[in-house]
Amino acid sequence: MGTVPSATPRCSLCNEPAVFHDRVRGRHLCRDHFTSDIEARVLDTIRSRNLIVPGDHVAIALSGGKDSTALLMILARLLPSLGDVPLSAVTIDEGIHGYREDTVRSADDLVKRFGLPHTTVSFPDLFGDTLDAFLEGRETEACSVCGILRRKALNVAAERAGATKLATGHNLDDEAQSVFMNVLRGDLPRLLRDPGSDSQGMFIPRIKPLMFVSEKEIAVYLMLHGAWADLPECPYAVHALRGEVRRMLATLESKHPGTMLHLMESREKIAMWCAGTPQEEPVRECRQCGDPCSGEVCQLCQLKKRLGMIHRS
Amino acid sequence: MKIILPDKSVRMLESGPALVESLLRDLGFDPVEVMVVRNGTLVTEDAIAANDDEIRIIRIAHGG
Repeated sequence: MGTVPSATPRCSLCNEPAVFHDRVRGRHLCRDHFTSDIEARVLDTIRSRNLIVPGDHVAIALSGGKDSTALLMILARLLPSLGDVPLSAVTIDEGIHGYREDTVRSADDLVKRFGLPHTTVSFPDLFGDTLDAFLEGRETEACSVCGILRRKALNVAAERAGATKLATGHNLDDEAQSVFMNVLRGDLPRLLRDPGSDSQGMFIPRIKPLMFVSEKEIAVYLMLHGAWADLPECPYAVHALRGEVRRMLATLESKHPGTMLHLMESREKIAMWCAGTPQEEPVRECRQCGDPCSGEVCQLCQLKKRLGMIHRS
Repeated sequence: MKIILPDKSVRMLESGPALVESLLRDLGFDPVEVMVVRNGTLVTEDAIAANDDEIRIIRIAHGG
């Protein structure tokens, strides 16, 4: 006779009601053990990869969405274990109507609650117009255009904040999707690129403390700590290859728990085997703006020319 | 069973005790992409939903 399932599964560590079923590690966790597990894993990611060291000033790229909100809450709780490094928040307002207004408001509320310094940079301030305006008639290019502009804006904001590290809320799902997309594109240099070191001292290094925490774990963490907000998704996301990859990986993860983690492990093994083998052009200075780039002219200057932005900013 | 869908619409379902995961799949949701609140409390997808329960399904927005 089979076992009758319990109406409420219990925590594998203490027998309290479970709030999360960790199918990768084969266990159930209650609120307290789930919280301590997530925070311990983030701390382990930070320590094992030296993401934050004494003397750092960490700026959190805070969009006000779920990932960066969880990142801020977790880093604020972990600070005493990290040597009390200064923490601040930077927010980019791209100008995406019907989407960014809510998340920027959410970011404002959060930094006030935590009493953190907050630097906001908007696309109109920096580039002369909103993302919506730049994308008129070219919506299918949204993510690549926004990615280039956001990268620059985040770097400017982090410099204004006086940061030595820029922490982003990229989670396990994001990272596994990126691994898969780079394989699909055959882009080995990008697959192996380490965001913390690709700047060769010319950009503020980026760190991803949530890279081994899944999107669902982040949502559950926020729900348990009264910080879940039903915010909209970016309206341009529907145009991205990432959307297709996300649905495919979610299905695989559901059928084969651990798929995303295995993709990350594959990336690390490939990186280890390729260590010492140059995969990218050396970093040079853009001959138009002086920013670091791999060619003669950086992606931002090429984009500005293509979008006719030079006349607006 | 009262089911509140992510778009806030409500569906009434006559059902004996059922695995939350089965309910989700019958309604077209992947458990990886949603959270489930039963009578105001977050539960796992292998919990049981009874006929007099209120089940709220929350879709996890991507990005952010």
